[in-house]
Amino acid sequence: MTFDEGKVLAVDNISFTIENGDYVFLLGPSGCGKTTTLRMIAGLEKPVKGKILIDDKNVDGIPPEDRDMGFIFQHFEIFHHLTVWENVTFGLEMRGYEQSYIIKKAQEALEIVGLLSNADEFPSIFGNPGLQKLGIARAIATGAKILIMDEPLGSLDPKVSKVFRHELRNLIKDLGLTAIHVTHNQEEAMAIADKIIVMRAGKILQMGSPYELYEAPNSIFVANFLGETNFLQGFVLKLLEENYMQVWIRLGGPKMICENKQNKFNLDDNILVAFRYEDVYLFPKNYDFEGSNYDWSKMQFFKASLDSSRFVGATKRFYLSLDNRDQFISIKPGNYEENYQKGDELIIGVHQSDIHVFKAPENLFNELSLS
Amino acid sequence: MVSIKLENVSKSFRNFNALDNINLEIKDKEYFIILGPTGAGKTTLLKVIAGLIKPDSGNIYFDGKNATKLSQEERNLGFMFENYALFPHMNIYDNISYSSRVNARDIDQTKMIVDQVLMMTLLTGRNTAFPEEMSGGMKQRVALCRALMNLEQSKLLILDEPLKALDAGLRMNLRRELLLMAKSEQLGLTVIHVTNEEEEAMMVADRIAIINNGQIVQVGTPDEIYYRPKNLFVANFMSEINYFESKCLKNKELPWDIYRKSKKGDKFFQKIQEDSVPKLLDIGLKNKFAAYENKSLCEETDEENVLLVVRANHMKIRLGNRLNQKNNALFGKIIRRKFMGVFYRFEVLVKFNTFEKIIIVTIPASSEIHETFKEDLDVTVYFPKELGIIVKNPGEEEIANILKLE
Repeated sequence: MTFDEGKVLAVDNISFTIENGDYVFLLGPSGCGKTTTLRMIAGLEKPVKGKILIDDKNVDGIPPEDRDMGFIFQHFEIFHHLTVWENVTFGLEMRGYEQSYIIKKAQEALEIVGLLSNADEFPSIFGNPGLQKLGIARAIATGAKILIMDEPLGSLDPKVSKVFRHELRNLIKDLGLTAIHVTHNQEEAMAIADKIIVMRAGKILQMGSPYELYEAPNSIFVANFLGETNFLQGFVLKLLEENYMQVWIRLGGPKMICENKQNKFNLDDNILVAFRYEDVYLFPKNYDFEGSNYDWSKMQFFKASLDSSRFVGATKRFYLSLDNRDQFISIKPGNYEENYQKGDELIIGVHQSDIHVFKAPENLFNELSLS
Repeated sequence: MVSIKLENVSKSFRNFNALDNINLEIKDKEYFIILGPTGAGKTTLLKVIAGLIKPDSGNIYFDGKNATKLSQEERNLGFMFENYALFPHMNIYDNISYSSRVNARDIDQTKMIVDQVLMMTLLTGRNTAFPEEMSGGMKQRVALCRALMNLEQSKLLILDEPLKALDAGLRMNLRRELLLMAKSEQLGLTVIHVTNEEEEAMMVADRIAIINNGQIVQVGTPDEIYYRPKNLFVANFMSEINYFESKCLKNKELPWDIYRKSKKGDKFFQKIQEDSVPKLLDIGLKNKFAAYENKSLCEETDEENVLLVVRANHMKIRLGNRLNQKNNALFGKIIRRKFMGVFYRFEVLVKFNTFEKIIIVTIPASSEIHETFKEDLDVTVYFPKELGIIVKNPGEEEIANILKLE
């Protein structure tokens, strides 16, 4: 589908499929087209080109209320002058169901989300998690199969959001609903999604499970946006057999052997080497590699010195620099035992399969800035 | 030199106690974090220190001198509050250099400092933009730059959620930049920084004060707050946790040697063993549990009714039933697993007679974890006794409130 917002192409010829029961995220920085995409699926906007199928039926011309969808927005339309019960029954009454059916459905829905005991109270007693649950209760009471959510956790206190997002996912998965959730928050997407669609400037950059995107990002943007990644600039020094190559980090940095998938790179190409913070292994200078049974043959080693380290609870961060003054970071579990001092020279190991190589962009800064 | 002391400071708005008898000492050159949930009183506390709000009672000392009656200007500090209050008719450069011009500082020197702070906040080249052309994140960075301008004189920097609206990547970088700047030899700042994110607090703080309902709950280094929280509120605020209602067993023969010293070189566990008392616990399962109680840091507990708290990331996981091999172990089934990037998060259902509980376990992600630990498999989860935390049991209702942060 394509959506044309004045002169700007807000969404440019995108195609994707969402399976029944999947919890899908549209993820990207502000202005990437994710909300416009969501609004087209919901029927609140009309694509200028392309079509949207729900259960293989073209929904062009079908109004939002007839698309079997429930809507949950950051500033959602909860009626604050109605009780919790009335908020749920309102939609059912509008559809003209019988009283006995309405009572049954509203009871069921409130029971499922755990708000039945609050039925006679007003929504103002809830914090945001309670309001979200009420939104879900309303959606399932009317028989919605699809939940449309636009930054539903956006206004939450970060701590509350970290707790509630697991509850939200579990509730929606247990109900077997299909959910489409828009956010700019990558951590939230990773924590909840079955599938993530990463968008930028109206286009889809990559889609897949969190695991697929995290393990095999197809672009510098995705590598940088999902998770924390070190980037080092260099060039291809030597092409090796079986789709491998040797790269040299700029200004006399280390040399590394890494995969050259589909022989994408040629001699002297400028490249960007990327590896995750948590994929950086640290060893003391006198480490006895031969005394260990581990197969080190696929590990790339180089030297770096420790600038500082920082305990951050679940993790500990090590800030390191190479001889060429390029800096990078390693993270380890928070209670990782070590006796490293500031200024120590360490041996760094990165597994070949954890090294991603990208073509060097013209402007690295633009590529890494999240807009 | 800037050290700050607050003595019995209280402040209420109408009937609401925003600050309730606050006592606090912030040392010279300390990076001090005030951490707490929304509405805890963090910003009020900061404003009282900055001189923007007068306390109802109590005293504030700057370098030992009573500063309670001094105005904000007289306190000589750099600050950034949540509403950025940029001058709409001035471009970025003029906004940032405003205080230098007012103070008639050397133009070349001003320009040099502005260039430095713009580079640090990734705003280089944007100095002619006006506030209305900027995104929220950019305005926030400009406000931060402005707070950083006057530090050579003032040496005290006050920040109210300075990185709140920024992208994750930029936020991470700026946290480190702020810390490096504060600790640089030329500046050597005292920083008081308010945040509601525990990760941010731990990344920069020398010490953290946890505040809730207008009261200071605990003050300590990130290490102390994380490993030896004073109560359930602090424990829960710093990470996802598991808790077990338990009672301490007295005069019982220990089924396994909880006094055993940790292996040589394990300094961290040794330290916990040195300053805490081992306790044997009944959590309602056949096997007994052990953990260390720190009497000097924790609230007074009733031994018949305590909470055993274990952080999700301190739990370990093995396939199958290993109850006879592992201490502090529970046997259950993985009912949910979720890949979250650096970590895998598991929900393990433990059922035994009337005991039923979902245990949260987060494990560093690896291909081995990905291949091995799948939903519906039977597993044993366990934790080292040094990482079990014993706190007061505040009662069912209060536990629910604390976990919901309401």
